[in-house]
Amino acid sequence: MACFSLTLQKLVCFGFLFLAWLGLSACGPAEPKTDAPAPDMRRLTEDQYRNIIADVFGTQITVSGRFDPLVRTEGLLAVAAWNTSVSSTGIMQYEEIAQSIATQVLSKENRETYALCSGVSYTAFDESCARKFLAKVGRVLLRRPLTKDELTARITIARDSANTLGKFYAGLSFGLISLLVDPEFLFITDFTESDPARSNAIRLTAFSKAARLSFLLWNTTPDDKLLRAAESGELHSRDGLNREVNRLMASTRLKTGLRAFISDMLNFDEFDSLEKDSIIYPAFGAAVVRDAREQTLRTITDHLVTRNGDYRDLFTTKKTFMSRPLGMVYRVRVKAPDNVWESYEFAPDDPRIGIQGHLSFLALNAHPGRSSPTLRGKGIRSMLLCQKIPDPPADVDFSGFNNPESLGKTARERLLAHATNSACIGCHRIMDPIGLALENYDGAGQFRGVENDAEINSSGELDGIAFSDSTGLGQALHDNPAIPTCLVNRLYAYASGRTFTAKSDWLTYLNKVFADGGYRVTDLLKRIATSTTFYAVSSPHNLDQTFESASNIIHFD
Amino acid sequence: MSVLNFQHMSTKTFLRTFAFASIFFLSSPMEVTSAEKMTLGFVITNWSTAMYETLFMDECSGGPTPGNYEIWEASVTPEVRRSYPVLLFSQLRHINNRGRNGLNVCDHPTSFDDPSLEIIEGKYAYGANLDGNKHGRATSTSCEHKNFTGLNGEEGIDNQMYRLMGCVEAWKSYGHIENNANSHRLSSGLGMILIEVTDVENERNDESVSVSFFRGIGSYNLDSTGNPLPYASYGIDHENGRARYGDTVMGKIVNGVLTTKSADVHLPFFGNYQYMNQLFRDMQLELELSDDGEPMTGLITGYYGVDQFYSYVRGMLSTFPNRHKFSCPAIYVAAHQLADGHPDPETGECTTLSSAFNIQAISAFINHPDYD
Repeated sequence: MACFSLTLQKLVCFGFLFLAWLGLSACGPAEPKTDAPAPDMRRLTEDQYRNIIADVFGTQITVSGRFDPLVRTEGLLAVAAWNTSVSSTGIMQYEEIAQSIATQVLSKENRETYALCSGVSYTAFDESCARKFLAKVGRVLLRRPLTKDELTARITIARDSANTLGKFYAGLSFGLISLLVDPEFLFITDFTESDPARSNAIRLTAFSKAARLSFLLWNTTPDDKLLRAAESGELHSRDGLNREVNRLMASTRLKTGLRAFISDMLNFDEFDSLEKDSIIYPAFGAAVVRDAREQTLRTITDHLVTRNGDYRDLFTTKKTFMSRPLGMVYRVRVKAPDNVWESYEFAPDDPRIGIQGHLSFLALNAHPGRSSPTLRGKGIRSMLLCQKIPDPPADVDFSGFNNPESLGKTARERLLAHATNSACIGCHRIMDPIGLALENYDGAGQFRGVENDAEINSSGELDGIAFSDSTGLGQALHDNPAIPTCLVNRLYAYASGRTFTAKSDWLTYLNKVFADGGYRVTDLLKRIATSTTFYAVSSPHNLDQTFESASNIIHFD
Repeated sequence: MSVLNFQHMSTKTFLRTFAFASIFFLSSPMEVTSAEKMTLGFVITNWSTAMYETLFMDECSGGPTPGNYEIWEASVTPEVRRSYPVLLFSQLRHINNRGRNGLNVCDHPTSFDDPSLEIIEGKYAYGANLDGNKHGRATSTSCEHKNFTGLNGEEGIDNQMYRLMGCVEAWKSYGHIENNANSHRLSSGLGMILIEVTDVENERNDESVSVSFFRGIGSYNLDSTGNPLPYASYGIDHENGRARYGDTVMGKIVNGVLTTKSADVHLPFFGNYQYMNQLFRDMQLELELSDDGEPMTGLITGYYGVDQFYSYVRGMLSTFPNRHKFSCPAIYVAAHQLADGHPDPETGECTTLSSAFNIQAISAFINHPDYD
C-alpha cells in the first residue's frame, strides 16, 4: 500500500507537471524584446478620413474634395502616412472639405439629429447646446476628451462666429470646422505618459493605444466602447486589452480593416487610374473595374475571416465571388441579378486559380491594350514576395517588344530579346518566367488560347520551381516560403509604420507564430494587437511629451 | 448439374442456354459513351426586315413610295399648302385625318383612296422557299404570287413582305423605322429575344439539337459605344414558373450553321413605342455560329400575319407617316393584295405574308428561374 501511495504521488506530480507544460506550450513562444521606436505621428489616409466621418455623422454626409496623395513607401501607403506631412494646398483642401461637412451636419435637415438640442433659437448663441455638441464630437474626432481649455476655445470660435453671422448653427459650424482641421484629428499622434511599471520609461496613453488598435482592426476612429475602455484605464491591463481586441475582432468591421490592408498591399489605389483600350477590351468598363476590385477583396476576406483559412491557399483557391459585369469578362454564367454578388467556384479543369488569376491582378499588372508578363512577374515579386525590382535603365528601347510583327507572335517570343541584352537580363529573368505563366490571360484578364494565331505556351519558373501552366504557378506560390513571411512583414509595417530586416527577432517571432497557427491571418492580427511590442515606445532624445493632467479632462456622458 | 458445366451439358441444353443469353445481352441497351451535351445561348441584338437594296434603287421602278405628307400635299391647293408653314404636330395630325369625314387614315385605311404603293419589281431577294414550289401559283396553302431568286441563285424564294415594303424608304437599311426600333430595344431591353440551343454534342456539326426562343428580361449590357457585349447573363420572362414565351423547335448544326425546322413560333417584339406578341407561321431560323464572342448573322423566315403587321404600322406615332414617308392606306391595301400564305378557310383570302428578317446575335448565358 505504501508503494502504491508513493507511485500515486509520482503520477499526480507528473500529471501536474505535464499539464503545466501543456499550458505553457499553448501560449506559444515568448515575445522577444525589441527596441521600441520613438513616438511618432501619421496622417489619416483618405479612407480613414471618410470612415471616421461616416462613423461620426453617418453615410449620408458626403465627403467631397481632394486629399494630398501619399507616395507608396516600402510597398505600402500606410508606411508613407508615417512619413508625410501636409502641403499648404492640402491644408486648404482639408478646410474646404471641413466646411462642406459642417454645412451638411448643421443643415436644417440634419442639425436636430446631430446637435441633440431642441427648442434652440436660430439666432441667439446657446452655450449649453454648443458645449454639448462640441464636447461630444470633439471626443470622437480627436480620439480623446477635450480639455477644459480646448473646449472653451472651440466654444469661443462658435460664439464669435454666431454673433457675427447672426445665426447660431452657422456659428456652431465653425466650431466643428476647427475640430476637423485640428492636427490631432488629421494626424494620429502617439501621445505618451510615464510608465508606472518601469522607471524612467514612457508608454502610450490609453487613448493612443485605442487609436492604434482601432485603426489596425477597423481602419477608423475608436468607437465609444473603446474610448471608455481607454478612459477607465482598462486598456493598460492585459485583460482589458484582450477584451477589447476580442470585441473588435469579433465584429463584422474586422473585414473593413482587413480590406484596407489588402487594398494597400495589392496596390488597389491604382484602380483609380486604371483604363483599358475600349476597342480591344470593350467589356472592361467602369462596372468591371469596380467589381474586379470588390471580387478580390470579398474573396480574401471570406477566406481569411469568414472561413479562417490558410493564407497560402489564396493562391490555389477556386472559390470566389461573381457579379454580372464580371461574368461577361470571365465568360461564366451569373444567376444573381444586377448589383448582387454570388459565390462562384471555377471548375476543377478551369486553368484559372488563385487571386493571381483574378481580373484585379491581371488587369492592374498589364498595359491598356495588351498583357505584360514583366509587369505581372514584377507584381508578384514586389507585392507578394516583398522583393524589390530595380527600375529599368533610362535608355531602354521598347520598340522591338512593342511591335508584334517585328519579333514574334506571342509575348514569350518577343521577350526573348531581353534574354540577349545584358542590360535587361538580370531583372527580367526573375520577372518574366513568372508572368509568362499567366499569358493565357490578356490585358483585361480574359482567357485566350492563342495570341496572333499562335498557341500560347504558359510554362514558367519561380525560384527554381518549374511549372507548365498557371495552375503550377499557383502551387509554386503556395509553397514559396516568402509568401507568408512577406505577409507578416507587410502587416506589421502597415500596423506600425515600421519595417524590420528579415533577420529581426520580432519578425522571426511573428513568422513562427503565423506558421505554427496554420497561417491564419486573424490569429496573426490578434497576436500583433495584443503584443507589447505593438504599443512600445521609447523616450525620444530631449523631448517631453507628457499628457495633460486628469483634472483638465472634460467627461461627457 | 451446374448450368455452366458445359462439359456435361447436352447439346440441346447448351443451345437453349446460348439462345437465352444472346437474347438477354442483345436486348440490353448497348453501353454508349455519349459526349457531354452542351447548351448554347444567344441574344438577338439586331432585327430588321431583310431588304435587297441596289445603289440606285433599281428594285423600285417607280422610285420610293410617296408618304402621307406628299399625298396630302398633292391633293390640296398651293394656298392651303401655304397655310401650313411648318409641320407642327397639330398640323400633322390634321393631315392624318384626311380620310372620309375627317377620319384618321391609319385607323381607317379604307376611308381614303391613296395612290397605290410602289412595290418591289426586282428579281432578287433574301428569304427562303417557304411554300416548297418554284412556280408561285396558288395551292391549297398559298395564294398566287411572284417568286424571287435568292442571292445564291436559288429559285422560288418567297418574300412578299419585301415586295410590300421594299420601296418604303423608312423600312430600308438607312431608314428610320428599323433603326429606331433596334435603338429602342437596345436602350430599354424590351423585346429581347433569347435563343437557347440544347442537346448539343458538337458545336460545328450536330444532326439533332433543340432550339427554344424566350423573352429576356433586364437590360442589354452595352460597351462604351453602345454595342451589346457577349457572354452576359440574362433571365427569361416567366410567370408562376412558366416561361411567357418558350416555343421549342428541332434543329441541326452543319459546318457551324444552325438551322431549324419549320414551325409556328411566338416571339416578343418591342420597337417604335409598341409591344407586340408576334406569331411567325412556319418559321425557320438560320444562324451562322461564331466562337470567341464575335457577332453572328442570321435569317429568320416565315409567314407574318397581315393584320399583325398592319397593327404595327397603324400603332406608330401619328407623325411617322408624314416624317418618315409612308401611307397607311396604301400599305393596308397592298398588304392584303400581296398576302400569299395561310388562306382563310371561309374567304379564301391569304392572311399572311412570306417574310424574311435579318438578325444579328451574340453569345449569352440564359438563366432559367428556380422553379419551386
